[in-house]
Amino acid sequence: MSRTAIEIGGKRLSLSNLEKELYPSCGFTKANLLEYYGQMSGSILPHLKNRALTLKRYPDGVEQEYFFEKRCPVHHPAWVQTAEVSRGSKQMTVCLANNTATLLWVENLASLELHVPLARAASPETPDAMVFDLDPGEGADILDCGRVALVLRELFSRLRLTGYPKTSGQKGLHVFVPLNRPETTFDDTKQFSKAVAIIMQKNYPDLVTAKMAKEQRRGRVFINWSQNDASKTMVCVYSLRAREKPYVSFPLEWKELELAVKGGNPARLHITHAEALGRIKAAGDLFREVLVKKQKLPHL
Amino acid sequence: MPSGTIWKGSIHFGDSHVPVKLHSAVKQERIQFHLLHRSDRVRLHQQMICAYENIPVPAEDQIKGFEVEEGKYLIVDPEELELTTPESSRMIEVHEFVKSGQISPLFLDHTYYLEPDSDIKAPGYSELAELLRGMDAAGICTWTMRKRSYLGALQASGRMLRLCTMRYADEVLTAASLELQEIDVSEKELKIGSDLINQLTAPFEPRKFVNEHQQRLQKLIDTKARGEKVVLLRPRTLRPTPPDELLQALEASLKKAA
Amino acid sequence: MWDGTISFSLVAIPVRLVKAVKPGRITFRTLHRADYSPLARRMFCPEHEQIVPPDEIIRGYELAPGRYLPVTDEELESVSPERSRTIEIIDFIDLDEVDPVYFDHPYYLAPLKGGEKAYRLLAEVMRRTNKAGLAKFVMVEREYLVAVVSMEGALAMITLHYSEEVLPDNGIAPKEAKLEAVEKKRMERSIRNMTAEFDPAKYADLRREKVVDLLNLKMKEQAPVEAPVLEEEEGEGPADLVAALEEIMREVKNKP
Repeated sequence: MSRTAIEIGGKRLSLSNLEKELYPSCGFTKANLLEYYGQMSGSILPHLKNRALTLKRYPDGVEQEYFFEKRCPVHHPAWVQTAEVSRGSKQMTVCLANNTATLLWVENLASLELHVPLARAASPETPDAMVFDLDPGEGADILDCGRVALVLRELFSRLRLTGYPKTSGQKGLHVFVPLNRPETTFDDTKQFSKAVAIIMQKNYPDLVTAKMAKEQRRGRVFINWSQNDASKTMVCVYSLRAREKPYVSFPLEWKELELAVKGGNPARLHITHAEALGRIKAAGDLFREVLVKKQKLPHL
Repeated sequence: MPSGTIWKGSIHFGDSHVPVKLHSAVKQERIQFHLLHRSDRVRLHQQMICAYENIPVPAEDQIKGFEVEEGKYLIVDPEELELTTPESSRMIEVHEFVKSGQISPLFLDHTYYLEPDSDIKAPGYSELAELLRGMDAAGICTWTMRKRSYLGALQASGRMLRLCTMRYADEVLTAASLELQEIDVSEKELKIGSDLINQLTAPFEPRKFVNEHQQRLQKLIDTKARGEKVVLLRPRTLRPTPPDELLQALEASLKKAA
Repeated sequence: MWDGTISFSLVAIPVRLVKAVKPGRITFRTLHRADYSPLARRMFCPEHEQIVPPDEIIRGYELAPGRYLPVTDEELESVSPERSRTIEIIDFIDLDEVDPVYFDHPYYLAPLKGGEKAYRLLAEVMRRTNKAGLAKFVMVEREYLVAVVSMEGALAMITLHYSEEVLPDNGIAPKEAKLEAVEKKRMERSIRNMTAEFDPAKYADLRREKVVDLLNLKMKEQAPVEAPVLEEEEGEGPADLVAALEEIMREVKNKP
């Protein structure tokens, strides 16, 4: 096994199997993976910071088996920050990706995808944002999700709320509504998002479903409101996804989403790792506001 | 007493056929506990529960499925699966011979003694045992027994042949899966460590070790059954040796062992 | 699974027990014939006809049919207190001396915080000397005799059978026989011709291929069945909120 030792901020890290192809159809290797997250670290770390990290590991690449890892691997380097969280009656130790060295360490474990909860580890019952996970059923596509997102945007604006869309990196979209207020509970966000989903389904029955059942989802966009839960995680913005190519969960401007929906051009909404790095360089972190903007769920 | 015959078959490789009978080589008898319901001490049974209806499902209503994607299953009949096992026969087919030392103990599962099947007259048994012993070789073989296909290692022990079932490679985790960090240990520490281990080396005499715990456990049960109070003892915990005291601890150990 | 320390002489290393054996790559789920829902193994109380959650389960020893003596985890740990949290290596032995008939079940030991260096040392020293450590330790109600071995830089721990569990082979072993020289020569030639490097992956692949072939064949003939989706709490949501949103939604839709 080939190994390369590097040092980041005084932390020693040994990288292995750099030549291993993780996305074999396009020759994207472990070295490319580490390079991507290394260059992206300035943008992704604020979104991972102090959140219980769930690893989704593909040790033999995207075409082979993967596994989720919620616990921090026992043999983590001493400098990896961890937190104790409780899941049901059980305590467990989780990793916090709070610096570049930790990010590269988890990537060396071939954790192509990074998933985090909506709350920080220190305040696991306080969501920083409410999320609408738009998931197209069979026969629907990302443009249908775009249509739903644009209606949500209109609805939010009347409630004096601003939402921020990102691609899921797969077929769907995620709309985040930043809250960043310590009094918010998952109960609040769940009730609210569920009510929104039900109203959407009622008014756009051909486009939207709020039900999980597969047959209900055919040709429609499923608004998965149940993601607003302390036990759930969402793929982090700027995380790669394990598809045939390294697509990224990437923030969109509303304008660009509008254009894509009008132009009927779904390809523009699938953003590859190279494009992601280029856009970050040009425009910075479009999702920054999600971390800081304080908004209040209206009492209706 | 050796156990009775479990299965009869014939070892096959090249032009040779050696008929044998399988006997189990180990037998475990341990104190059994049962799981009880705390509230009323009713003994619990393991049941297969339907995740959807939350009811126990009897064996005749259970089927096998292979998950092709999340929540979607391809139903497979047990008979169809049997087709994938090598055809049922009395043949223990040796595919190749390897050096015994190459087989990691992590792969070894259950050992059977092979008895020459004298009803058929067993030519070649003693010759094969002698050869495998002399060459320190093991035959990697497959066979089907009780409707299951097995992978195993055929080895000699003294004048006897044994068959040890082996786990498949995709069932054994590699040490690499532990993702151990590389850590430098000084030559000096390694040298003292090696000396210490050599000092503490004794011949393997498994008879020396009896299951004392079993007897103590029986005593605990007897005490409790008489209605007497049991004294609870805290488990011993050791203070881990800090890395910077390792050399010191090794030197002290060596002195103690000498 | 189990956290404790492994010790030899005056050195103690904090470790965790990790499994070394898992189900193979191709495994089948057991499903309910009626609705194709996957089945899960649970403890079931026949009296109350209900599934019993883990915190309501205790251990009991059967004194007489139907009469059980409850035994707590603390009591069990108390039986051999010196061994329930410590794997103490008593002797080191030459690994080659261990008769494979003794091997039972393998585990790995993983170092816990602070133990990494001593762990590395023990693994490396046992590799160099080709030694294994013999120890006894207790997990839940059982005491295990174990061999701690060095495996590709890691420590593995294989539980061993006690010698009283290894059955005698008298009556099975053949009597001393005169060997047939011709037969032996012929066999030897075959063995030499068939000698190879041990590669267990080959056999796993072979088995997997056959099952994969079967599944591919079946995929052509039959569509997969679908398990019912476990419905999350649905219902209508808070009525006031829904009504208020309904109002706003109307505005959105009537927007010019």
